[in-house]
Amino acid sequence: MKIDSTAKSLTISIVSLLIFVTAWELVCRLGFIEPLFMPAPSKILFRAIKMIDNGQLIAHTLASTRRVMVGFMISSLVAIPFGIFLGSSRFFMAVFDPLISLLRPLPSMSWIPLSLLWLGITETQKYSIVFMGSFAPSLLYIIEATKSIDPLLIRAAKNLGASKLDVMREVILPGSLPQIIAGLKVMLGIAWTCIISAELVAAREGLGFMIMNGKEYFQTDTVLLGMVMISITVMIIDVVFRKFERRLLPWTR
Amino acid sequence: MKKTGMLKKSLTLAAALILVFSVCSVHADGKPEKVTVIYGGSSWLGHYPAWVGIEKGLFKKHGLGVLFQNFYASSGRMGSLVAGDLDVAATGSISAIALMASGSKAFQAFGTPDSYATVEGIIAKENIKSIKDLKGKRIAAPFASSAHVLVLDVLEQNGLDPEKDLTLLNLKVNEMPAAMGSGEIDACAAWTPHFNKLLNMPGNHLLVNDTEFSLFKKYKLGPGPDLLVVRKEFAEKYPNTCQAFVKGYFEAVDMLIDEPEECAKVLVKLTSLDMEDQMAVLKDITWIKGDEQKALMVQPGDFVTGMQQLADFLVKHQQIDEAPKVKAWIAEKMVP
Repeated sequence: MKIDSTAKSLTISIVSLLIFVTAWELVCRLGFIEPLFMPAPSKILFRAIKMIDNGQLIAHTLASTRRVMVGFMISSLVAIPFGIFLGSSRFFMAVFDPLISLLRPLPSMSWIPLSLLWLGITETQKYSIVFMGSFAPSLLYIIEATKSIDPLLIRAAKNLGASKLDVMREVILPGSLPQIIAGLKVMLGIAWTCIISAELVAAREGLGFMIMNGKEYFQTDTVLLGMVMISITVMIIDVVFRKFERRLLPWTR
Repeated sequence: MKKTGMLKKSLTLAAALILVFSVCSVHADGKPEKVTVIYGGSSWLGHYPAWVGIEKGLFKKHGLGVLFQNFYASSGRMGSLVAGDLDVAATGSISAIALMASGSKAFQAFGTPDSYATVEGIIAKENIKSIKDLKGKRIAAPFASSAHVLVLDVLEQNGLDPEKDLTLLNLKVNEMPAAMGSGEIDACAAWTPHFNKLLNMPGNHLLVNDTEFSLFKKYKLGPGPDLLVVRKEFAEKYPNTCQAFVKGYFEAVDMLIDEPEECAKVLVKLTSLDMEDQMAVLKDITWIKGDEQKALMVQPGDFVTGMQQLADFLVKHQQIDEAPKVKAWIAEKMVP
């Protein structure tokens, strides 16, 4: 029964996608839209074939994936323990709250000038842009996830003689982990939005670079291909992430 | 009732006739149909005439108000032009050729204001004495620009592969002084005014300028000659406005030739250079007068031939897919 409904949903999704792409192709072929403003899907496909053939598309995708994953991993490694710590301490939350509030609204692009001064035109500068773009939102997700643990459970554990470390290990961590993972999945998508900013300066490969360079040469098909590749890469990483989530949190299945 | 109806009809007819007559007379006496022109520029020397024309009231003399919109890169300027946000612009020809290659017919070219070869080039650290010394080094250029084309060309002339023999980075010209200063790059390709600033930095020297570009050696054409462009719809709808713009523009070119010092005084507001540097830049430019434009753009059209060569060069270096037929984008009626 479940398989039937999944297959049905998948069929609906594929058919709707096909209808959308066909309509897009027709609108372009009939000349309703100038190719400069919106190229036909077939043109994007030809560009993809050409760039796969010369190896550029894979190189750009791998370069961006590396930058996003490194920046995101560092951001998560810092944000998870720090967020749990702040989420379980009212005092330290009050101390860091103003700083987090200041960092939270800053777009990744705003870090470009400072990161260039601090780190120069290196790969580290590109990782730092992804890090700064995803750190504050990740931290907030983790703080909220930690805070969402029922205080009654914490009190009960303490009454049963659990130490602070035990409460953290046995109650807070398992209780907040599903929400933390859900938050990180959202944050991974946000980390990918930083790639344009990260590859804006001194890059020679990457999907962000490919999009910006395509823009310079008015190759809208290249621009759209870069955008599609970002979406596809995020979808693939999302699938991998879900598998990892199921292994890490078997009780949530 | 009937009389009132007749009167209304007559008045409407009269009003319509007056309107048609007035529009015709505006066309007939050559007055601009539209008195405001939005121009896309930057601090690059190719925009000096437009700036001088505005500051010295040369457009005003022809009944025009010109609004100078600043754009950092030619691509952004050209994108805005075809999107209808600008009426006229000057652009580096790389962007214009790329836009032609994309198939856009929304713009046309009508002139070239200048020729320069010594205000753009590759600046390197003192230990780099020749192009061959760039092997294994880090060199920056703003991709999709004339400076990028210059780098690709001189590397090719010296048998260096930009993919294998060195690291070629995409960097904006305004970010180059800091990168050169910190030693993160060993050389960079830039244009004025940043070119002058980079040259003035201790430890830097000029490696090559545009005179080393292969098409310059053959045709006296730099890697990204400036091109005056107009939105096609605007040119068709407001021919008198365009003519007035062209007149004011080339009067400004004459003024730049005849009274460079006077022009420099207003140009420093645009470029932020000091008077001495500004005068030095002006001395390096050869201005192309209005009466020289026909020969370059139409008959025999040497400039257009050179642009075609540049388009072929861009295809050869895989910067664009196909070379457009540049001649098809020339607005011959607008060329003075």
